[in-house]
Amino acid sequence: MSHPAGPPNDPHGDHAAGGPVTLDATALDKLRELDPDGRRGVIKRVLAAFESSLVRWLGQLADRPDPVDAAALGHIVHTLKSSASSVGARNLAQACADIERRLRGGDPVDLPAEVQRLVILGNAALVAVRAMLRF
Amino acid sequence: MSSSIVFVDANLSHQPEVLLVDDDEVSLLLTALALRERGFTLVEASSGEQALEILRGWTPDIIVLDALMPGLDGFATCTALRQLPGFENVPVLMLTGLDDDASIARAYEAGASDFYVKATQWSLLAGRLQYLLRASRTRIELERSKSKLARAQDLARMGSFDWRRQNGGMLLSSEALRVFGCGPQDALTLRGLLRMVPQEERRVLLRLLHDLLRQNSVLATDVPIVLFDGRQRVIHVEAEPEFNDHGQYAGYTGILQDVTERRHAEDKIRQLANFDALTGLPNRRQLLWRAERALEQARRMQHQFALLLIDLDRFKIINDTLGHGAGDELLVEVGRRLRACVRHSDQFTESGVELAGARSHRSLEAVGRLGGDEFVALLPEVLDDQDAARVAQRVLDCLRDPIFVSGQECFVTASVGVAIYPRDGTTVLDLLRNSDVAMYSVKAQGKNSAAIYTPLLAGRGREKLEIETALHKAIERNELVLHYQPKVDVRAARMVGAEALMRWQRDGRLVPPGDFIPLAEETGLIVPLSEWALREAAKQARNWQQAFGFADSIAVNLPSRLFERSDLVEHIHQCVTSCGVPHRVIQLEITEDNLMKELQNVIPALHRLNEIGVEISIDDFGTGYSSLAYLTTLPISELKIDRSFVRDLGITPQSSAVVTAIIALARSLGLRVVAEGVETLRQMEVLHRLGCGLMQGFLFSRGVPADDLQRWLEQTVLPRKAPWIGAASTIEPDPVDPAALAAGGRRFR
Repeated sequence: MSHPAGPPNDPHGDHAAGGPVTLDATALDKLRELDPDGRRGVIKRVLAAFESSLVRWLGQLADRPDPVDAAALGHIVHTLKSSASSVGARNLAQACADIERRLRGGDPVDLPAEVQRLVILGNAALVAVRAMLRF
Repeated sequence: MSSSIVFVDANLSHQPEVLLVDDDEVSLLLTALALRERGFTLVEASSGEQALEILRGWTPDIIVLDALMPGLDGFATCTALRQLPGFENVPVLMLTGLDDDASIARAYEAGASDFYVKATQWSLLAGRLQYLLRASRTRIELERSKSKLARAQDLARMGSFDWRRQNGGMLLSSEALRVFGCGPQDALTLRGLLRMVPQEERRVLLRLLHDLLRQNSVLATDVPIVLFDGRQRVIHVEAEPEFNDHGQYAGYTGILQDVTERRHAEDKIRQLANFDALTGLPNRRQLLWRAERALEQARRMQHQFALLLIDLDRFKIINDTLGHGAGDELLVEVGRRLRACVRHSDQFTESGVELAGARSHRSLEAVGRLGGDEFVALLPEVLDDQDAARVAQRVLDCLRDPIFVSGQECFVTASVGVAIYPRDGTTVLDLLRNSDVAMYSVKAQGKNSAAIYTPLLAGRGREKLEIETALHKAIERNELVLHYQPKVDVRAARMVGAEALMRWQRDGRLVPPGDFIPLAEETGLIVPLSEWALREAAKQARNWQQAFGFADSIAVNLPSRLFERSDLVEHIHQCVTSCGVPHRVIQLEITEDNLMKELQNVIPALHRLNEIGVEISIDDFGTGYSSLAYLTTLPISELKIDRSFVRDLGITPQSSAVVTAIIALARSLGLRVVAEGVETLRQMEVLHRLGCGLMQGFLFSRGVPADDLQRWLEQTVLPRKAPWIGAASTIEPDPVDPAALAAGGRRFR
């Protein structure tokens, strides 16, 4: 059932600090269940959709003249959380969930630092997705 | 795996159509893929605004909405789409990554049917959609069925209610409120409802409700009410007690229905079934029912009760003359008068009647209409015959005054027959039959009177019935014979014709005509009897023609009803032609009474008969009420002077005067005249002297069988041996009458 989704020594996906970039194999298996024989190219379509979505969000986070506010960040992390989770970009998904929880809970959030973290994790996920798309 | 994850309900006629709304491309794509794989048809929208746009032209079976979206989010989209016509009840599943209570509450507030926390467990999502679809379908069916029920209840003027003893009180459905003439927003309490019930019935109803609550029993009753607008209705209420989980009585639930129309229809049916539509009196069914009850009471309490059968005299004539409309008017008035003769009870009586109390059977007393012109007075208790006779006399008296119908005064009388329980019968049918016998005895004795039944009357009735039965078979059994009485020309001493007289040989004896001809007329048997007589007479004419050259005619008596038959001429034609004799051998005699009674109907037949050569003779002339004017125009040939005048000839001068007048009349009209019932030489001489030479009677010969008549001719007339022959030759007629009268009328020679 399990297909190689990235380097075999990183079954949890995304990248650990300094490690190779991978996507979570379980999540990808889940995606394959939607298209077991691969004839409909579901994984590629989903990864392509995630890629374009992620590029858009990263663009919004990085290119804004004004620092992003809490509400905008909340919306971005809410959306990215489930789509990152769906494609197996677990670190990104967990970061989104963490930021969203803290924003909803009213905890103090260092917005520039969190944006920075998101951009790094997003780019890492982008690399992994693009690697998958090339694969 | 893919083939095993199709979730769509096999009961659905089509794949469920889903509108999926999510701004996240990845989620949108994944959810769409997963749901398509599970048999759903998807339309995708990436924003709330786009979703609302799509919904303007299409209605999905279910809508899946992401809660958080830029612009119009899921909550706002849901609120907006609920405002769109037709989307009030479309199931909406809100997808959210938020699992906080506030978002869930918001989702429901916005009108979502359910929510689902986003996850990649697609089967769970598909299952949730199926559940919502099924619930929606059930809800739609429920709505439809509720609406059908409401419509049906509306049509049936029916509604439901709940009554809680503790709190809430009376709760009426909107249909039930409509039954009481109220709108759906109106509130009606039990007290308010009770106030609609008229006071008298309210007391009864309260007692009933009190008993009901004490016993927790089932309620089923009709309640009359007066609505706020004053209309009176009848409400049928059915309710049964309800108990809570602990088995304790909690209240009542039930239905109510406006049954006013049905009640009216039932009343009408009951009225039609028991009362005569024309007179409004109890009809046969109701009378018999009352009579049975009266009889039971009389038997139990050992008293007598009486049945009076009242039959109007001559009603048929009134009906035939003035028309059925007038006849009906007359019956209505007679009914009204008869009702006043007894303590008439209009009360409807059926099995539910309570005959409580010693004198309660008196309420059965009534006058009813059995049918036609027959009425019955039922007297549930009489002391003796005189009691009943007094009521019978009251009945006769009440009809004494004329009745105005069709602008004309009519005098009506009745014949009343009385039968008394137990003496004259122990069943209602016996009593009816015997009152009928008594009533017929009154008719036979001249009508307009009353008679109480006696067994002797029944004996006569039985005898009459036997004769009637036997008479039916008399023709086929050849029991009927014709006897012939000659008509003679006394001056010429020769037979100039004969009258055929019907005789019935029954069980070896001859039944006199008076014993069976009236019965034959009454029953209509006179028609086949007369037709038989015509055939026999024609045959006899041929026999005599062959035997001794008979060239005269045989007179046959016919009732007027035969003259009204269109085939009489044809029948006579057949009789004579089959025997090879001319039409003139048959002469028809009709009595003066019959002629005048049915004059207009008989005239055409007289003319046709005259045309073919059949002569008409008026029998019993002088006893009826002739219009002399008609005599001048009718095609008749002969008048027969009634025997009553002949009998008194030479005894009373009036008889001679009448006979003289008849002879003069006949002479002036050119008619032949024949005297009947001549029994003595004296009568013969007087008649001859007055100018009548044609006679018939015992002096010459009785009615005898055909062979005997021939013998009489050969042995008495031709040898001129009879005493009347010598006497006649010596009489000179009065100068007023030259031989013409004696010789006959205008067509005789």
